[in-house]
Amino acid sequence: MSALTLILKKTPTQQVDVSPLIPENLTDLSKPEIGAIILVTGNQHVRTDTIFTISGDDPERLIFTGETTKLDYIGKNCSIGQINVQGSCGAYTGMGMKGGQINIYGNTGAFTACEMRGGLVRIEGDGGDFLGAARPGNQIGMMGGMVIVTGNAGARVGDQMRRGTLLIEGNAGNYAGSRMLAGTIAILGKTGNYPGYGMKRGTLLLWHSPNKLGATFNDCGCHTLGFLPLLLESYRSLETRFAFLPKTTGRARRFCGDMASLGRGEILILVP
Amino acid sequence: MLIKLTGGTVYDPMHGINGEVRDIYIQDGRITDPPNDMPIHQVYSLNNKIVMAGAIDIHSHIGGGNVNIARTLLPEDHWANPLPHTELLRAGSGHIIPSTFATGYRYAEMGYTAVFEPAVLPMNARQAHMEMGDIPLIDKGGYALLGNDDYGLRMLAANKDQKAFNDYVAWILRASQCLGIKVVNPGGINAFKFNQRRLHLDEPGPYYGVTPRQILLRLARALHELDVPHPLHVHGCNLGVPGNLETTLSTIEGIAGLPMHLAHIQFHSYGAEGDRKFSSGAAQIAEAVNRNPNITVDVGQILFGQTVTVSSDSMQQYANHLHAYPKKWAFVDIECDAGCGIVPFKYLDKNFVNALQWTIGLEIFLLVDDPWRVFLTTDHPNGAPFVSYPHLIRLLMDRSFRNDMLATIHPDAARASTLGAITREYSLYEIAVMTRAGAAKLLGLSDRGHLGIGAAADITVYTKQEDKEKMFSKPDYVFKDGELIVRNGEIIKVTWGTTHVVRPEFDNSIEKELSNYFDRYLPMKLGNFKIHDEEMIYFGQGHIQVHPCRERNSS
Ligand SMILES: [Zn+2]
Repeated sequence: MSALTLILKKTPTQQVDVSPLIPENLTDLSKPEIGAIILVTGNQHVRTDTIFTISGDDPERLIFTGETTKLDYIGKNCSIGQINVQGSCGAYTGMGMKGGQINIYGNTGAFTACEMRGGLVRIEGDGGDFLGAARPGNQIGMMGGMVIVTGNAGARVGDQMRRGTLLIEGNAGNYAGSRMLAGTIAILGKTGNYPGYGMKRGTLLLWHSPNKLGATFNDCGCHTLGFLPLLLESYRSLETRFAFLPKTTGRARRFCGDMASLGRGEILILVP
Repeated sequence: MLIKLTGGTVYDPMHGINGEVRDIYIQDGRITDPPNDMPIHQVYSLNNKIVMAGAIDIHSHIGGGNVNIARTLLPEDHWANPLPHTELLRAGSGHIIPSTFATGYRYAEMGYTAVFEPAVLPMNARQAHMEMGDIPLIDKGGYALLGNDDYGLRMLAANKDQKAFNDYVAWILRASQCLGIKVVNPGGINAFKFNQRRLHLDEPGPYYGVTPRQILLRLARALHELDVPHPLHVHGCNLGVPGNLETTLSTIEGIAGLPMHLAHIQFHSYGAEGDRKFSSGAAQIAEAVNRNPNITVDVGQILFGQTVTVSSDSMQQYANHLHAYPKKWAFVDIECDAGCGIVPFKYLDKNFVNALQWTIGLEIFLLVDDPWRVFLTTDHPNGAPFVSYPHLIRLLMDRSFRNDMLATIHPDAARASTLGAITREYSLYEIAVMTRAGAAKLLGLSDRGHLGIGAAADITVYTKQEDKEKMFSKPDYVFKDGELIVRNGEIIKVTWGTTHVVRPEFDNSIEKELSNYFDRYLPMKLGNFKIHDEEMIYFGQGHIQVHPCRERNSS
């Protein structure tokens, strides 16, 4: 069986909501049935086969290709299988995802993996703003699973994040881990201003000192933390630069905060 | 075009018609005399169907800042309840606090043809009217909020004469394009800004030294002397506080016989007896209403489930914010004019207080004798979303259903309530009074709420059914200004209603002093504050209907 491939026939004029096209919805459907699925774009309803050429037969492996930046909600609420996106994609990729894996070979728009509950999102490119955050107006962001970004991430990554792991190999924008409730965000590159703004609990793991740190974080000095090598060891099995980090001594400078909020969060800046 | 509705059973309380089979003729949007020899273009035969005027909701929060903030605060309500666009209808969303278009559609589908927004902050009136201008199908109107505004309080503190105060009230009505005046927690919202958490009826407020009772009296007198048909619309002191029954009774007694409408009286009818220091004051309140013909009330019934409380009463809303569910809330102070507090809330039938609130509302409905003086509201969305009106009507009309519901609530609340012993069941005639004729009369809308010759052809037709909830949730036909807009509970045509306003006379020389005040303290010029008619008629989508102020010395 070959992967079920959805090729965009031409660039859609408006963003297309492809949320119905996830493996579990397609498993028992024939190709014409898949083609008849109704998608919303702008204020129009369109059949899947009017904008996509469909080939292949294994819906557990789904491939989106073509001008995929026009696709929003790729893999929304997906719980099984694998979705590959051969290019950049729109907003809300992997929103509410419960399981399975999404690989994006390009950049993603805002709110990628927002309110994610499980599974793995791998971005071979840059992740947009509000990666792993809550949807606007909602109170709880990512609640499980893992996101790996090989490029940079935008502002407010992990906003109101509750559980799970964000691994960012490049830089992150301002307010990383803002209003975080719990969970882990690790950033290998540089971090913008005010990481951990309003964070209640949770851990921000940094390899570089942030540009600016809020005054409501307390410097707790340098510590040798026994759990750090174990945490990093747990990334060994993953396909990411985090798997190949040099053996660390587990020494880190610890800041506690945000004291303007609950204040049980921590920013750990690794000491080389 | 001439339309004939034939064979329907008509309930038209304004003309004392109680279930008579009559024919009704519609021409050019109005109800007309039987024509002599004109051709009839359309006939609807309505055997076994019930015909009433379109329903009128006198107190429902459908436009203005607080509603919008509530929508923004509760995106989950909108994600969970999308309304896709169709050939005919615009897209929308929301159940407990629907978007503008959805508000119009849902009301019209239930046979409502006019809805009044009771909290138009004059400073915010343009936004409120623009938002209501986006509500299709129904007529609307607003009550301008006074009584916590800095300018008015200054006038009272300086003991300006009543004539000058009347001019100010009339000017506000004109400038904000409203139909009446409402006061919310008189003086209390203002006191909250001075960090005060409670203001009793006879307690001088901070800075201005004016008591809530003085504010009530001055405003009620102003409306009376200006001959504005709708009496002062009052949201009293101490909303939701156990024992506030005393305040409410004192407010009723203290208005000196002037006409006064008490809004969502259910929230103001609490005693402080019993183990939980919370009891029903419905009997005393209903008795006081029965005894004082100058008083009208709407109930503000609560019904169980998720909703959101929106109120200008930021003082009381702040007191309630710890009970917010989901846990989030928003408060806004608006330019020395009033306040705004949004607190989402879930009423639970197994919660003693909520269950007792439910019985208190129903008790008031059933113990106030005169249906012309009690109105059907849930204070949407404060007590429940307006879409639950058919359910509420069934509770009033069907005693056995009511008692079945009573058996499911918190047992202590059921035991503490006299509801089970009340045998009254509302008749269709009484429902027609409280949701149509009475409402139109109270608001001074002479051509609405009845089916007499010359009235606007706002007509709702239901199929007679045992289950009154079913009957009232899905009318067979709804006519708005003579056009058929709903068939079998579904919208088939979209029209745009009218905005009802009053324009009492006033001495325009007050604008000089007002203008100085605006220049010194407020964010806009007086000229921008006033809403012009052209703005209300926005691209032909809206209309204005000016209702005359009562003839002097008539009843
Ligand atoms: Zn209200």
